[in-house]
Amino acid sequence: MPKPGPVADYLGRLTREFSFDPPLASRVCQEVEDHLCEAAAAMGDSSIEAQGRAIRDFGDARDIASQYAPLSLLRQARRSGAIIVVASGALYLSMKGRIAWYGLMQWALSDNLQAVGKIVLAIDRSAYILAFLLGAVGWAYISTRRVSPRFDAGCRAQLRLGLLLAIAATCAMLVSVIADTVVTALRIVEERPPVFVSLIPLLSIAVEVAFAAVLVTALGKALRSTLRASSLLSS
Amino acid sequence: MLKGHLDMIVLAALSSGPAHGYAVIQEIQRRSGGAFELPEGTIYPALHRLEQAGLLSSHWTTAESGRQRRVYSLTKRGTRALSDQRVVWQRFTDAISGLLGQPGHAKARSGR
Repeated sequence: MPKPGPVADYLGRLTREFSFDPPLASRVCQEVEDHLCEAAAAMGDSSIEAQGRAIRDFGDARDIASQYAPLSLLRQARRSGAIIVVASGALYLSMKGRIAWYGLMQWALSDNLQAVGKIVLAIDRSAYILAFLLGAVGWAYISTRRVSPRFDAGCRAQLRLGLLLAIAATCAMLVSVIADTVVTALRIVEERPPVFVSLIPLLSIAVEVAFAAVLVTALGKALRSTLRASSLLSS
Repeated sequence: MLKGHLDMIVLAALSSGPAHGYAVIQEIQRRSGGAFELPEGTIYPALHRLEQAGLLSSHWTTAESGRQRRVYSLTKRGTRALSDQRVVWQRFTDAISGLLGQPGHAKARSGR
């Protein structure tokens, strides 16, 4: 930490402006501290006046943060898009694995569950296809955007569209996971199979829930960062 | 106009060897004869952007003062990108010189 003074105050301001990406804030602050100290020393002394001049030459903290924001936020949105695509693959494998296991165990839906099962499975299939398509389109869109040098209206519009697609895909994926969980729970409750038989379906549901949780966490982080940057850097 | 060419300017400043942010700014000022007046902080987002694009690599070192310092250098991709941009820039300046009727160009054209 620098000694109390103009440089320390400036780094504090910079950290606040970077609240959309704390790890990046820490790296940037280290670099900026080195720069300001060297610039002040190059002026002949490291007095408060020299530090003030070095800060003036460096530029406004908000302006600097707004130049870092597009890349940081785009990267977070891209990460969410990539997780959606990977989660779609995991869900597909999990569903196929479960169906194969039911076949192997000759474990068909009972007559009582046929009607409910058909409806829930139709919802599950539609939600899964929607999640995959929206996720793939969203990822392709956000991955092909050029990094804007400024956090301007165009950059904000790109992020908004990318994140909206990611939110829609995530909602559809959650519907699919819930539908899978409901059908699997109904099967197990109705049939009460031996523990080892129900272990594979339960594990596959656990995998789906885990991927959904990772996705919701990553998307939530990207959303919070974008909202924070929008409110901080647009005001 | 300068901001539109900032990436090329930063790549060019690093063509003489690895440097940290402050040294890159010094190099830009030295080689441009102090012609470019840009807030110094603008260089850092550009360095970060170029690093993410794979045109620069960087690592932390410890300066003599004991402070942590990030040193940047051109990658192979960065060197290629700079060469490409030099060619584009040369074409552009030739075209503008021709348009503005630079004496050298006018003579060369009338001599054909």
